[in-house]
Amino acid sequence: MTDRTLTRSRPRNAALLLASACLLATGAAHAQSAPPQPAAAAPVVDKSIPKIPAGPWQGPRLPDGQPDVTGFWGPAFGSYLNLTDPEGISTGERQRNLPPREQRAPSRVSDPADGQVPYQPWARAKVQEYQTYYANPIKPEYVDPLARCAPPGIPQALYMHGHEIYQYPGYVVFLFDQGTRIIHLDNKPQLPDNIKLWNGDSRGRWEGNTLVVSVANYNGKSKFGRSGEFVSENVKIEERYTFDTNGKRYNYEARITDPTVLTRPFTVTVPIRKYTEADKPRPVVYAVREAKHAGKDAIIEYAEERACIEFNSGHAHLPSAAK
Amino acid sequence: MTDAPIPAQRPRGIRLLTAGLMLLASHLAFAHDAIPRLPNGKPDFSGIWQTLTPADDDLEPHAARKDAPPSAGVIEGKFIPYLPQALAQKKKNFEARETADPRTKGWTLGVPRGIYYPEPFQIFQRPRDLKLVFQFGHTVRTIHTNQTEHPDVIGDLLSGDSRGRWDGDTLVVDARNFTDQTWLDRAGNFHSSDLHVVERWTYLDANTVEYKATLEDPQVYSRPWTLGVILHRHREKDFQLIEDYRFTLDFDQYYPPKRDKN
Repeated sequence: MTDRTLTRSRPRNAALLLASACLLATGAAHAQSAPPQPAAAAPVVDKSIPKIPAGPWQGPRLPDGQPDVTGFWGPAFGSYLNLTDPEGISTGERQRNLPPREQRAPSRVSDPADGQVPYQPWARAKVQEYQTYYANPIKPEYVDPLARCAPPGIPQALYMHGHEIYQYPGYVVFLFDQGTRIIHLDNKPQLPDNIKLWNGDSRGRWEGNTLVVSVANYNGKSKFGRSGEFVSENVKIEERYTFDTNGKRYNYEARITDPTVLTRPFTVTVPIRKYTEADKPRPVVYAVREAKHAGKDAIIEYAEERACIEFNSGHAHLPSAAK
Repeated sequence: MTDAPIPAQRPRGIRLLTAGLMLLASHLAFAHDAIPRLPNGKPDFSGIWQTLTPADDDLEPHAARKDAPPSAGVIEGKFIPYLPQALAQKKKNFEARETADPRTKGWTLGVPRGIYYPEPFQIFQRPRDLKLVFQFGHTVRTIHTNQTEHPDVIGDLLSGDSRGRWDGDTLVVDARNFTDQTWLDRAGNFHSSDLHVVERWTYLDANTVEYKATLEDPQVYSRPWTLGVILHRHREKDFQLIEDYRFTLDFDQYYPPKRDKN
């Protein structure tokens, strides 16, 4: 099983992680390098965003009263590489034939209706400049911070690979493949404004089936994909995580306001699905293994150190990672 | 009035005193027992913790030097029982500590260093596991407490693989599968990938935890040895972790794009 060999050694793990990230990109390219076939050839995947109305939570609750949404989650489809065309060509990737746009997953920008980020002209020019030099980064600012092992940030973390949600009295904690978010539910004041963070500073509250999170102190340094969209350190983000009572899905919505780079606020929407014991482990997306123990019931646990990832060792920062 | 009532009162006074002492004793016992617990009765280490001990400067006893205040050290038996070759390596590390310490690159601190590094870490605890989130590097370490064992096949990990069990109210953690890429302190004390750590976490009172770690590494040490620090709960109003992704400081000035000035 490839998911098991992934965990064999940390340096290899980091290298494989990079490899698998590349595979995600080239795998998609390979799958579609043949002349485009009508959807008949591929398994039918529902690309629509499920309707999950905000309302009361009817599902199980934790002892502290929070809706129980603990577990492994990940984007329902598409890669993180391209924000507005999740199954389209990634920046730096060679051209290839694609199914028509309407057969590919919709833009994650759900408002405005044209699916594009409402940039001020100078900011749009910066995005285009980044795309132009992505494959040939002649200046440090053209290197994706992700490639330097920085956290993917908000909202990219929600559609990059998979994530785990943990819940504790007073907290919801997100463990991403690169980065961790601690959502405070106690309404304590947010940090002083001059402190800027890769994961921002988050305050949340439950409204029925919806976790509503206000993000401040965000440093704006992460991109929104290889497509290079960005915001500034003056951004404010309001997130809504609306969970389906059946426990299988949630919709993520981020309302992004930033007068420094935008002409108006915009909304990113990401449909997210649950991963359970019934799913086959997958590198980085659902990197789990069965824990070793004397009992009979299968216990699933995360299999990889969140290497590049939580902490910095970096794809190549550790000398042994290059071996 | 005679003196008679006085001796009669004295026993009463003594009785009251005794009762008071007994109350005090039971109150102390209660206070001792009043540590936070999970619904399943196990001690609950949830909270934000930090040591006051300058262990991270140098685990061993040392006089003041320019980069470290003096300290009597935190090791049982004072010094790390290095094998001769390892001691030579430690001395090299010490000489190069200003740049060779993985901390200076912002790398994950590892085990046990993350625990006594002078920045807070937060424990989130459920019956099945503890998540330790370290402010430095925003690293996450998991201690499994669900009767699971170390995996048969596993790589070398910066924070190792940690499996915990309860010995009364003490959490005993067995950690192994480490890399050789972390140090134990700023003085160049180190280990190999054969490191095996057994930790003991015990509440002294509701806001204080005694932490002991026994380190075994036949490539580096002649025998197992033990260090100990005290961890204090952060109780400042609204105290929280603030992510410290130090390794990003070398490149963070390149982002986000700025509007050209003209």
